[in-house]
Amino acid sequence: MESKNNMENVFSKLGDLKQFFVFGQKIVPVIQKIIDFMSDVVPLLENVNNSIQDSTSKIPKASTQINSVTSANEIATSEILDIIDAMFLDLSTIKTGLQELKNDENSEKIKSLNEVVEKIEMDSSRITISLQVQDITAQQLASVNHLIDSVQNKLSSLLCDLGKQQDRPIPVFDPNSVSEQDSDFAFSDGTFNENARYDRTTEKQDLVDSLVLENTKTSQEEIDKLFAK
Amino acid sequence: MKRVILVADDSPTIRKFVSVALTVKGYDIISCSDGMEALEKLPNNKIDLLITDLNMPNVDGFELINIVRNNSDLKELPIIVLSSLGSNDDIQRGLECGANSYLIKPFDPKRVLYEVSKYLN
Repeated sequence: MESKNNMENVFSKLGDLKQFFVFGQKIVPVIQKIIDFMSDVVPLLENVNNSIQDSTSKIPKASTQINSVTSANEIATSEILDIIDAMFLDLSTIKTGLQELKNDENSEKIKSLNEVVEKIEMDSSRITISLQVQDITAQQLASVNHLIDSVQNKLSSLLCDLGKQQDRPIPVFDPNSVSEQDSDFAFSDGTFNENARYDRTTEKQDLVDSLVLENTKTSQEEIDKLFAK
Repeated sequence: MKRVILVADDSPTIRKFVSVALTVKGYDIISCSDGMEALEKLPNNKIDLLITDLNMPNVDGFELINIVRNNSDLKELPIIVLSSLGSNDDIQRGLECGANSYLIKPFDPKRVLYEVSKYLN
């Protein structure tokens, strides 16, 4: 009786073993597919890794180029301002000279010449307002540089996670590699206004004036008088 | 005697804009690129008025105004803010710190002249 029970037990175990082999036969193709997928994906990941490394190495160059653009714009703006400054002085000399030449005979002509000088002064003043776009764009570019810096940090940390830093050194932005000409902008992190806009409307200034009025009780008549000129 | 104006702005072009607008009207301009430099220059020069940006490295404009207003020798100094920060909060903060005027960039040189002459004439 006991040997019969043992035999039944053995058959039951063999049944389980058979089911396991049947299941194994079914699972083998799936495992094979997973292995195939892995062998396809590994070169792809290698590619992604290389691309990230390549992009990361280019970021400092992009950052330096942005600084160069800002620097070149600043130099050009400064040169234009120097010329405008000299023009203001020349116009002042012309005005004084015209005043000295004034007499009954040529007063009409002097008056019209004075009007021309004043128009040139006003136009020069308008040029200085337009040139302030340089300051606004410099702040916007500094904001872009800040963003690039953040992306580079993220990519560098991703590369570290992928463990490839031993094969190739991860390029890290070195402020000392930036030329002296660009250095004013390379270290201005956090001192820019990313929302800076070149807005020639008086909407914002009007808002400020109303707030200043509330705070200081400045006479609105004075401001109106200024813009009536 | 010429009136002396201290201009604190990290943008060299803005310092130049202000300088061009004001020197032609006979003001003496001293420039500096941040709040720290401004604090060094304020006691050593007879400054009649301060024009300052708000976004600056080291010591920003808000802090600079605060320090000036808490200094017994400088607390009456007229201060004009020249900034691209135009939100209500920034303006309120600037005025609460103690700025007398607040101008938004880009600014009209005539308006700067008007504000300066308001305090110095």
